[in-house]
Amino acid sequence: MSYVGKNIPHDSAAGHAAGESVFLDDVPPMHGEVFVGIVGSPVARGRVQSLDLAAARNMPGVVGLYTHKDVPGSNRFGPVVHDEDLLVVDEAQFIGHPIVVIAAKSREVLAAARRAVRLEMEELDPVLSIERAITLEQFLSPLRKIERGDVDRALAAAPHSLEGVFDIGGQEHFYLESQIGIVVPGENRTFTVHSSTQHTSEVQALVAEVLGVPFNHVNCICKRMGGGFGGKETQAAQPAMLAALAAYHLNRPARFAYSKDDDMRFTGKRHPFKVFWRAGFDGDGSILAADFKLYSDGGCSTDLSMAVMERALLHADNAYFIPNFRATGRVCKTNLPSNTAFRGFGGPQGVAAIENLIEDVAVAAKIDALDVRQSNVYRAGHDETPYRQRVGNNTLPELFAKLRLDCSYDARRREIDRYNAHSRSHIKGLSLTAVKFGISFTRKALNQGNALVNIYTDGSVVVSTGATEMGQGVNTRLRQIAADELGVTYERVIVTATSTEKNNNTSPTAASSGTDLNGFAVIDACQTLRERLSEVARRLFAEHDPSGGDVATPLNDEPCGILFSQGSVSRSGSAGPGIAFTKLVQRAYEDRVDLGARGFYFTPDIGFDKETGEGSPFYYFTNGVACSEVLIDRFTGELRVSRVDLLMDIGESINPGIDRGQITGAFVQGMGWVTAEELKYSDKGVLLSYSPTTYKIPNISDLPDVFNVALLPNDACVQSIKRSKAVGEPPLLLGFSVFAAVKDALRSLAGQRVELALPATHERIALAIARIAVSNQPVATSASR
Amino acid sequence: MIESDGVSDAVPSSQLKDHLTIFVNGKRHMVRGLDAFRPLTDWLRYDLHLTGTKVVCAEGDCGSCTVMIGRGVDGRIAYAPVCGCIQYLLQLDGAHVVTIEGLKYAGGLNPVQQAFVECHGAQCGFCTPGFVVAVHSLLEPSSEAIDACAVKRSLTGNLCRCTGYEPILNAVEGVDRAAVQSVDALFPPETILEEMTAAAREGVLIAAGGRSFFKPVTIRQAVEFRAGNPGCAIIAGGTDLGVQMNKGMRTPMSILSTAALPDWQWLDVSNDAITFAGGVTLSVVQDVLREEIAECAEFLEWFGSPQIRNAGTLAGNLANASPIGDMLPPLMVLDAEIILTGATCERAVSINDFYTGYRQTVMRNDELITGVRVPRPAEGDVFRLYKVSKRKDLDISTFSAAVWMQMCGGQIIDCRLAYGGVGPTVVRLRKTEALLRGRPLDDETLDELQETVLSEITPISDVRGSDSYRNLLAVNVLRRLALEMASGDAGSSKPV
Repeated sequence: MSYVGKNIPHDSAAGHAAGESVFLDDVPPMHGEVFVGIVGSPVARGRVQSLDLAAARNMPGVVGLYTHKDVPGSNRFGPVVHDEDLLVVDEAQFIGHPIVVIAAKSREVLAAARRAVRLEMEELDPVLSIERAITLEQFLSPLRKIERGDVDRALAAAPHSLEGVFDIGGQEHFYLESQIGIVVPGENRTFTVHSSTQHTSEVQALVAEVLGVPFNHVNCICKRMGGGFGGKETQAAQPAMLAALAAYHLNRPARFAYSKDDDMRFTGKRHPFKVFWRAGFDGDGSILAADFKLYSDGGCSTDLSMAVMERALLHADNAYFIPNFRATGRVCKTNLPSNTAFRGFGGPQGVAAIENLIEDVAVAAKIDALDVRQSNVYRAGHDETPYRQRVGNNTLPELFAKLRLDCSYDARRREIDRYNAHSRSHIKGLSLTAVKFGISFTRKALNQGNALVNIYTDGSVVVSTGATEMGQGVNTRLRQIAADELGVTYERVIVTATSTEKNNNTSPTAASSGTDLNGFAVIDACQTLRERLSEVARRLFAEHDPSGGDVATPLNDEPCGILFSQGSVSRSGSAGPGIAFTKLVQRAYEDRVDLGARGFYFTPDIGFDKETGEGSPFYYFTNGVACSEVLIDRFTGELRVSRVDLLMDIGESINPGIDRGQITGAFVQGMGWVTAEELKYSDKGVLLSYSPTTYKIPNISDLPDVFNVALLPNDACVQSIKRSKAVGEPPLLLGFSVFAAVKDALRSLAGQRVELALPATHERIALAIARIAVSNQPVATSASR
Repeated sequence: MIESDGVSDAVPSSQLKDHLTIFVNGKRHMVRGLDAFRPLTDWLRYDLHLTGTKVVCAEGDCGSCTVMIGRGVDGRIAYAPVCGCIQYLLQLDGAHVVTIEGLKYAGGLNPVQQAFVECHGAQCGFCTPGFVVAVHSLLEPSSEAIDACAVKRSLTGNLCRCTGYEPILNAVEGVDRAAVQSVDALFPPETILEEMTAAAREGVLIAAGGRSFFKPVTIRQAVEFRAGNPGCAIIAGGTDLGVQMNKGMRTPMSILSTAALPDWQWLDVSNDAITFAGGVTLSVVQDVLREEIAECAEFLEWFGSPQIRNAGTLAGNLANASPIGDMLPPLMVLDAEIILTGATCERAVSINDFYTGYRQTVMRNDELITGVRVPRPAEGDVFRLYKVSKRKDLDISTFSAAVWMQMCGGQIIDCRLAYGGVGPTVVRLRKTEALLRGRPLDDETLDELQETVLSEITPISDVRGSDSYRNLLAVNVLRRLALEMASGDAGSSKPV
């Protein structure tokens, strides 16, 4: 009997449903706790001309006001490159760039004090677009490149060629719980930081650096997040750092909580990209060469933008073998909040680039886009990526073939053609796209995890790792894994809050790797404990049954021939009754055997040279396909996703219910990114869509009318944990099928390729249809006469 | 502050309470002084430590703060889910607030919560309490079958960013409906109804920290207070005022509640018109119109969300005078009348004469909207409503349009067109209307009238859409209608 593979509810589900789960702002303020907030720059780029804090300082209940001069450690910070000022020193780099930190006794006083600060800025000319940054050559990174073959020659020699520019919009995370940190000062300049973060070790490090204390003086704890999606990978640190500054000076607990509006205005988002692309292909739709120049909007500082760009480049091939391939990337520096990780981490933009190219190539070649995809898919003999990694356990051809049949693609294609030929009010579109998502951090060092497993003398077990719980169910899976590994019942195990005191130097819970890295570390710790307990069991069995000498010789893989299952321990090959796990644990304690163990794991066989763009950055790939059908109102551009069929290969699922929720959640989030989620700024860089009134994530009524989700049976992904595949991010990239279906619909109306920027908002669709109508008009008029 | 020539003459302050009486999960609370001016959710979370109710957007646009609010109506307590974040305590005198904590059953999780657990309806858990409250309200004991579409319609006010909603729909389907209890079963009305009703009926005057709140019991008191307190905010559902106060866009020093006014929930359905009293919520309006003017009721599906419609009033939507107020265009083409009551007289004004500029009306500062009379379109009239927004549900219009036409033999005899989102007020397209009379609605007519349509509107580019998109829609809705009529009336936005 195994818990792995079972559909077990999320381990916080009951608390969530009852409203009893504790999120940070649900914690009542401690005695003396202060509320911390900022006054940030009102302009995207500018210098502080005058700052008058007198009115705020004299306000009853205001207990602290700080500027960059009050930072005891390093005001310069960043997760990779230290290139952002926490508090403005010379020049504000984005709207909301903190200038003053205020600590007050109540939320109301804090709000009033923020309004009472008098700030005048000298406004400087901001850079607010990728285009402008390219013109000014204002980049945050060196050029990155992945290349195979002679692209220029292949493009020149190809029978057909095509080029285009594709604009890809950013995306707001819209985690429901806004960023928050609570810092409690202890004795001797130590600090406990409660943070809603995906990366406790990073918050620990950044808080320590800003306070100028060693890392061991800061313990960062995360019980749970109300959603993360990458937005709390690095940018949970700012609230924690700002609260820490007040806690440091006041020696009082301090809380910094963003309102949703401020969170949306002042924190980073998914990177917008601009893609210049060229393709060479033959009459059969075989793509002979592809050339991508990617530019991303990194915002004001590096943050994770380099790694995001690298992943975009590593996904610009997506599921397709292209013999001559080149992708180059530059990160632009602009005066917006630093853009950051967001589920998919550049992968979605890379995949969008090539899937968009394929839609256009198919139109030019007059071949169904699905045929183009299938004829170029990675397959036997054509399974090496442009960066020289072989696509192992390649289920892509099977996924395409199976979904094409299962969703009746061909019959529906004919039906849609007929519909579009006669409907005057609506048009339909259909597209089936793929994802091949590389699993592993592209920064090799991050591919490690540690776990602490403690068994108490009543036989109950506590597990902790660096994994943070943001709703994705990592704690539930770790519980399942630990219960199986120790052979105890699921109820006997709990996974406790993530804390740097228990698990040091952890990696962010990101890159879909939470279960892989931390689960293997849990297995390692459990194996250590099982080996120790097996020794004790052997002694125990020998005492009770001196004749049973067979336990001394291992009969199978079980260490020392001792079996652990469901809370009882027995000898392998022995039919006799076992002993209770609790009894064994108590005996171990009496025998002075260590009942706690640390486990460690690092991903083997990976490595990638960023300079040459070659290597095997990924341990394996998670693959999937989705087919989306859309219905578009020709008069208003309104879009309805009428049907989605999705087929994923996630190996053998550890928890099918949780995995399914990851798939539907990621897909719908991806669908939002490519349709209605539009970030709109004023020409001064003010974000206009800064709350759910103006920024529209998918609503329950936007769910596809038909939404079929299926898993491809695959037990061959042997190297990963319990033969499962990571699932957190990959289905998001299938949301692109909705965008491709919109392009397909517009193509059917125009009879030719249609340029469309992402997201495909109602407005963009309507204006594209209007342009098509204008360009078709002379033809239509002459035909009707 | 209360002016001496304001309420004091009309209302002896001895007859006024100086506090609010609010019930939360069956328990009575007194609220005094400046606390009356706080949002419900701050009070619940920070004072009563009922932290299951979450606040995300503080503007009624995500539903994480959904609570049930019950009020005494005809000898019983009528509950409805509303957004707690934009309810202020001063709106809740005599109300019973039931939070997620209050929906706990004696034996543990309630069946809705149980289904959310089993069907993976919760991931991060932040939206979950709001969903559970909304779903519990939907599934209150009833023999009525609820189809998937109705489930979706009832949950458009709740956003989830984790699940993609599919697991939530599975959870709703998985609820053991027989085990769902009514709120009355959890909180027997007999213990609280009498006190609630009494509190709701009583007049209240709270003056604290330079701010005043007045809940009058007669229209006369109300209009006199309004006249005596320039800049006074009138609050009914508060679905817009609450947002403005939360976001610091408006901090009215005096607030006038309409909650205890007499004859405030009245409605009248006659052969030629439906009349709604000033306090009638949009939910009630929608229910009534479903039978009477179906096109209008369907249009109301896209007005905010159930939580917003349960709180907001029709009169409030009209008084707010927004150029993108959803009910303005339909009522303009139906030539609705707004009944204004002052201290001494009552007058009826056509909605078409009501608006004078951006958020400006002919309403005097000693008047209240006490009724709205909506004439019924005649049999055979064409009456069509369109709303285009970034997202279909729970969104504010980018553009909206209402068309009423009287046809004879394919010719337009009479017509009225009103557009929202194309100028500082909702616009009647009177020149276009004049040119349409006597003609068929077809492409040829529209080709000729296109320039006239565009000359009558002045759209701007903003976060909800560009001027060129709005111009395009202004013409395209008419083309769409022409197509619908030519193809035998498929109804708005249905495929043709």
